[in-house]
Formats: sequence, structure tokens, C-alpha cells
Amino acid sequence: MNRLLELTDDAISEIVARIRRSVVVVENGRSGAGAGVIWRPGGYIVTNYHVITSGNGRPASTARLTLASERRLPARLIAVEPEIDLALLKAQDSLDDPNRFGDLSPALIADSRALKVGQIVLAVGHPWGQRGYVTAGIISSLGTAITHDSHRSIPIIRSDVILAPGNSGGPLVNVVGGVIGVNTLVVGGDLGVAIPSHLVEAFVTQAIGERTRVTA
Amino acid sequence: MSELENPLNALSEALTAAVEKAGAATLLVDARRRFPASGIAYAPNMVLTADHVVEREEDIMVILPNGSELIASLVGRDPSSDLALLRLPSSLAAQAEIAPGEARLGQLVLALGRPSAEGIQASLGVVSAIGGPVRTGRGGLLERYLRTDATPYPGFSGGPLVDTTGRVVGVNTSGLARGASLTIPASLAWQVASTLAKHGHIRRGFIGVRSQPVALPVAQQKALGREQPSGLLLVSVEEGSPAEKGGLLVGDIIVALAGKPVTDPDELLAALTGDVVGQPTPFEILRGGKPLQVSITIGERRA
Repeated sequence: MNRLLELTDDAISEIVARIRRSVVVVENGRSGAGAGVIWRPGGYIVTNYHVITSGNGRPASTARLTLASERRLPARLIAVEPEIDLALLKAQDSLDDPNRFGDLSPALIADSRALKVGQIVLAVGHPWGQRGYVTAGIISSLGTAITHDSHRSIPIIRSDVILAPGNSGGPLVNVVGGVIGVNTLVVGGDLGVAIPSHLVEAFVTQAIGERTRVTA
Repeated sequence: MSELENPLNALSEALTAAVEKAGAATLLVDARRRFPASGIAYAPNMVLTADHVVEREEDIMVILPNGSELIASLVGRDPSSDLALLRLPSSLAAQAEIAPGEARLGQLVLALGRPSAEGIQASLGVVSAIGGPVRTGRGGLLERYLRTDATPYPGFSGGPLVDTTGRVVGVNTSGLARGASLTIPASLAWQVASTLAKHGHIRRGFIGVRSQPVALPVAQQKALGREQPSGLLLVSVEEGSPAEKGGLLVGDIIVALAGKPVTDPDELLAALTGDVVGQPTPFEILRGGKPLQVSITIGERRA
């Protein structure tokens, strides 16, 4: 039995070490900061829309990132989806290879369409400015939330993981370290809500696709 | 052993399996103005829930995990333990399984609820405390209770606290401790449910005495032939009461009821509940320092 708990701890440490490399701090000049997940190679980072909005309620066109390596980089806003509280940033590395330092490696993204209530999940973020803070729990329910403007019904993940301001934009991961959602405090109105990664994936794909068309 | 290769994954899968199993026997109970609460499939056509969530006795709606809606009738309720039993017009596919033995401190548990038609809800924690007897906010006495740090989400009242294999350890309710969540141990809840199924209410007895605990001197404990630190000294015996009819006198010390030692008033109250009501019951007393057996027919208290 002791061995079982030891091995469980080892498994958690491994997952935490891996996911923390893909979690960044996102600041937009205001006080307070949120989290972001390195989603795609090339420095594409997903965060919450509310993390990059400034005092006037509009999104800032740039943000500052602090990577897990402590390297600080500027980022440009690529796309937003305010209704589900998502924003996509691109890290502005001074060099051509955005992953030259190996500190912009994307997280493993899991399929969030086959989740089950009761499964163990971990959250990583920066609650109250505490960097890379880890909390654990289970998926407590799989429900829907109605968006404010277009009254769309979207799937959301609720968990009993403790989340606080600063967890916003950070990942919710499963027991193999795959990102199943992006934590947010806004959609659904209550704490412990995550936007499923398949919605995030669709947003990122659409955003990067559009961008490609515009520059072509 | 695959569980040792990936123990976290194995634990996670065990928890989802427990939620799936117990969730099949966790139902939605809609019998109040605010949002619905939860209930447990206690028997093929019976649902155990919290008394305080049954605000109306008609038009009680139960929604099954498969989404079918049934109108339930009230079998009986026990406000003092905050439990109510409902009857369904048809049989349930799954019934809750009760965990054998008593809950252990620190044991992993899941709190389950189905307050929304969207699906089962769960939270994870441990058994944080095992206590009792405690007087409840609703005038009753709860022999034993559990507490857990698993989050009690709104509408979890009447839902089960289950072990890691999905067996019921207790019934969660926020109706007994001023809104704080408390868990009625499954053995106790099932006992209340079985009485409600039989009689429609919990029979509470009385014998018509006022008493106070007193320490028993070593000599008297020797006379009893056991170690028992205290008994109940009778300070008054009501006229015409079961106690008087049975021959109890002021100054007698009650030390046991039906073979079970009684050391304080709460234990007497607990012992006067259930099937003993209306029955001639042996009381062991000390009179003048000497043990004596008397038989008292326990009266039924009408609320």
C-alpha cells in the first residue's frame, strides 16, 4: 500500500514537471496577472480574454510573458473569442526560431470529448501571484453554460479543484498530463470552471487559419 | 501489476467507476420551490432523501439517471434525523449498495448529487470526523454522524457519500447542523428508512422520568459485575407514567436497558427509539446500592 501512494506521488510529480514547462505568466500592464498555456509550436499561447483586457474593457494588443525558464518576452494578440473567454497570443522572439531555448514547447493537448465525472484532474496557474501553483481534485460535473451575448449553450467542465484569480488561462490536465481544458472564472459565473480543450482547439485552428489567409 | 505501473490512472479510473455505479442509484428529487435536491434508490420502488428538501407532499417529482420523470408519493418522514422516504409508481433499474462496516477516519469518499438533469455531480474528500450522539437543530438526537471535506454542492442534500467502490457510506444533508453539511451514517439511515417503510414514522418512546447522570462508586460497579462509570439517577417519576407502572421510584439509578448500559440521558433517549416502543422492556436499576431488574412497557410519544 505504501508503495502505491509513493508511485502515485511520482506520477503526479512527473505530470506537474512536464505541464509547468508549458505554462506562462501573462501580464498586460495592469496589476495582477493570469496564466497561459503554450498550445502550438511557434509560440502560440492560449489565455483568457479577461486576462488581456485593459481598464477600458478592450483587449490590449500586446502582453508580456514570463516563461517557465524565467525568460521574459513580449507577445502580440492574434485573436479573441470573448464569449468563451479565450484569447490567442503569439510570443515575439527576437530570433527566427521561437523555440531556440526550448522553453516554448507546447503542452500535450488531450481530447476533452470523452471526460467522466470523478476522474482526477490537476490545475496549474499563478493564484495570488504564486507562480506555478498546483491544485488537484476531480471533475465534479460536465454541464453547459449559456454565453452572455449570443446565448449559445457551450459545454463546460466543473471540478472541485481549488482555483483563484491568477489561475485564469491556466491548464486543467488529466492523469497522463494532457490538457483537457483552460480554467476561467468568467463563463458560468462560478469557480472551478474550465473551457474544454476541443473548443479551445477549434478556436486556435480557426484563428491561425484566418491569420494565414490574411498574410497570404 | 498495471496499477503499480500507472497508479494515478488506476485511481482515477476507480473513482469514475465508483461515480458511475453510485450515480446510477442517485436520483433527482424535486419537491421544493428552490432548485431540486438529490435522493438515493433505497429499494426497487423507494427513494431515500433528506426530509428538509421535501417541502410539499404532493407533486413530488423524481428524475431518474436516464431522464424519465416519475411522480412520487411520500411514505413517511423523520424530521429529527432529516430523512424522508418516497415511493415510486414503477421499479428502478439500479439500487444503492450499502458499505459493510463503519466508516473509517481518513477514508477516501465521494459525495454525489443529481440536482440538475444535466447529469451526475461529484466531489472527492476524506471522512474528516466521526461523532455523536449529537442533538440536531431539529429537536432530535443523532446517534452517530460523519463529516467530510468533500465539497457539498448546492442540491447535494439527500445524496449519498460513497466509498471508492461506490457503496453508500452515508446520506449527506445540510438540514441538521444550521446549513453546514453533515452525513448520516448509512447503517443509521437504512434503519430509519426501514422503519419509515413499515410504520410511516419513527416511533419514539418515553417512560416519564426526569434524570441526571451520577458517578457509580466502585462498590456499586462490583455489584453490577462490570465497569460502568455512571448511571441515571431518577429525580422525578411522573404519575401514571410507564415508569411508575413499572415500579420505578425516585432515587433509583437506571444502569441498563434491554441489556445495554445507559450512562447518560442521551443514551436513554436513543435506547427508547424504534422497535422497543410499546414493548415490555427489561431495565436494570440500582436501588439502595443493589442491582434489580424491572420490566417497563415503553410508551409512545406523540409529536
